[in-house]
Amino acid sequence: MRVGQRPRMRLDRRGVEAVPPAAMVAAEPAPRRRVVAEPAYLIFAVAEAEGGRLSRHERQVLGAARRLADPGGGAVVLVAPSLAEDAGAAGADRLLSLAAAERYDLEAATALLAAAAARYSPRHVLFAENEGGGDLARRLAARLGAPFAAGVEALSAREAVCPCRARRAELRLAPPFLLSLAPDRAAPHVGPAHEASPLDPPAAGAVRRGILTAAPLPVTAAEVPLAEAGLVVAAGNGVKDFAGFLRLCSALGATPGASRVVCDAGAMPRAAQVGASGTVLDALAYVAFGIAGAPQHLQGLGRVEHVAAVNTDIHAAMIARAELAIVQDARRVMPALLALLEAGG
Amino acid sequence: MRAVVLLSAGRHPLSARPAPVPVEMQAIALARGLGADVAGLHAGAPDLAVREALGQGMDRVTVLRIGEADDAVAALAAALAADPPDLVLAGNRGRGGEDSGLLPYLLAEALGWPIAANAVALAAAAEGLAVIQARARGARWRLVVAPPAVVTVHPAAPPALPFAYARARRGRIEEQEGRSAPLVPRVAEERPYRPRPRVIGVAGGGSAAERLRAATEVAGGGRVLVDPPPEEAARELLAWLRALGFSRSADE
Ligand SMILES: Cc1cc2nc3c(=O)[nH]c(=O)nc-3n(C[C@H](O)[C@H](O)[C@H](O)COP(=O)(O)OP(=O)(O)OC[C@H]3O[C@@H](n4cnc5c(N)ncnc54)[C@H](O)[C@@H]3O)c2cc1C
Ligand SMILES: Nc1ncnc2c1ncn2[C@@H]1O[C@H](COP(=O)(O)O)[C@@H](O)[C@H]1O
Repeated sequence: MRVGQRPRMRLDRRGVEAVPPAAMVAAEPAPRRRVVAEPAYLIFAVAEAEGGRLSRHERQVLGAARRLADPGGGAVVLVAPSLAEDAGAAGADRLLSLAAAERYDLEAATALLAAAAARYSPRHVLFAENEGGGDLARRLAARLGAPFAAGVEALSAREAVCPCRARRAELRLAPPFLLSLAPDRAAPHVGPAHEASPLDPPAAGAVRRGILTAAPLPVTAAEVPLAEAGLVVAAGNGVKDFAGFLRLCSALGATPGASRVVCDAGAMPRAAQVGASGTVLDALAYVAFGIAGAPQHLQGLGRVEHVAAVNTDIHAAMIARAELAIVQDARRVMPALLALLEAGG
Repeated sequence: MRAVVLLSAGRHPLSARPAPVPVEMQAIALARGLGADVAGLHAGAPDLAVREALGQGMDRVTVLRIGEADDAVAALAAALAADPPDLVLAGNRGRGGEDSGLLPYLLAEALGWPIAANAVALAAAAEGLAVIQARARGARWRLVVAPPAVVTVHPAAPPALPFAYARARRGRIEEQEGRSAPLVPRVAEERPYRPRPRVIGVAGGGSAAERLRAATEVAGGGRVLVDPPPEEAARELLAWLRALGFSRSADE
């Protein structure tokens, strides 16, 4: 009997042609950038790129833009103020840096976007449906009088689906010019990086002024609700000095969190509990001091992209989950980190 | 100061009965907090949800009667331009209609007024009205807008005033004929809502093996430092945080 002559059939529900395992090992070509030289049309993906990085939600917007671009030979244009990281890896064929002179100037940003849309005539413009992206999308929709689908939950080149009537009904329509995508409704781009070549920014149009000033408010991280926080530093059973832990959090500008054991013991308030029976985080980064990483705790990290852990046990599940794992006593690392911050880092 | 709160015909998400939209009730509370004279405005048919708003801090609601197929923006803009208040407050999303949150923007554009979105607090400022705006990840911005302006309210704003039955009885609803302008119907099919699974990790992309790995290990391939001196561990952590853009935090 001859077994293993042909690769075993693999079930892949995406409907994409399955790659047999043998071919996966054999051909690992040098990383090449995919180039869409003569795009049939353009799809704009607008990102705020806070801190020069794309958020998870913004990567999903780029992934959705790829789904609109790929079937017809279109190109994805990432429209963002400025970017420190590689936009090509996130699926951008072109990069349009649109920076208003003032970062917080929403009216100038709207005028710039309108000018870019006029100059490049994209087929669709996609936004992330959150406080910032949703605001910009609606400003542009009202300015251009263009059709807009809000909080799209399913998107393909043929149709967009968005909820309405208190989420008791949904609208199915051909994707309109402007769309905002709800979080976690599209997969980010994976696979080969795209070219991300720069496009010329358009000349700024006239700005109608009604917002006189705009600036971020300093919010102390401890006041931010855990579910909304960008950086969470959490303490588990391995932490004993909670006064020192809270000092460290405030020095880092992090929102304090804790495991259930710590909250049960009363060392931290219940509101700080991360996990299945506590809060599920939407943070960009999470640092765990002395937390084992029980499944109920890890459920609270479902959406966190970057995790670091300090634990004495190299076999702890938290160490396996972490992008930066430090096997060391948290009671020694925490004061060292605080000292480093107080010395000006 | 005069404030107008835009009221929509809200529906309860479970029972589908007429029910005021929570953010619009929060908007009334914000306007009352400014010490403004507050009135409600609704374009459409007189609705039970709009009547209930009377019990939550308002004595007067004007209903601009327009047909089903008429454009609410045209009716609201005509009424507001005829007797402009200092401030128009709206919910950031409706609950019961198309719920796109676009109406306040279209209205601001039609009136030529500025709009500030997602307010969680309002205060009088020297040059105008200060709006504290909710941004993603718990951040807050402070905007100053020149009145008259449209401001939408975010669910993180302070809670609505308690419902007062006597007040609801006492309140008046005035009906007027609204400016009727036909709405361009959009080509869309409406059907019952179908919940769809959310996308996690890289699901939907990459090979089956990549997706399995993403679902089970999530991060994977991390850097492990075994027994580093605590000072080195601290430096590594800080460098990692800085690389993620958390650098300014210490000096704030
Ligand atoms: C129904 C149910 C719901 C639950 N919901 C939650 C929830 O929402 N959130 C939650 O967190 N838990 C939850 N739990 C509890 C969870 O199962 C774990 O018991 C809990 O998360 C463990 O917390 P811990 O990691 O802090 O403590 P431990 O399990 O005691 O782990 C402590 C860790 O710290 C390390 N350590 C010890 N000393 C040091 C040191 N000096 N330096 C560095 N590391 C050190 C140890 O190696 C160990 O890994 C739930 C449990 C159940 C049954
Ligand atoms: N027919 C209407 N009359 C008055 N205000 C409305 C009407 N429809 C919507 N609004 C306001 O606009 C906000 C956003 O609604 P929408 O754009 O439908 O999501 C609502 O919270 C209301 O404040």
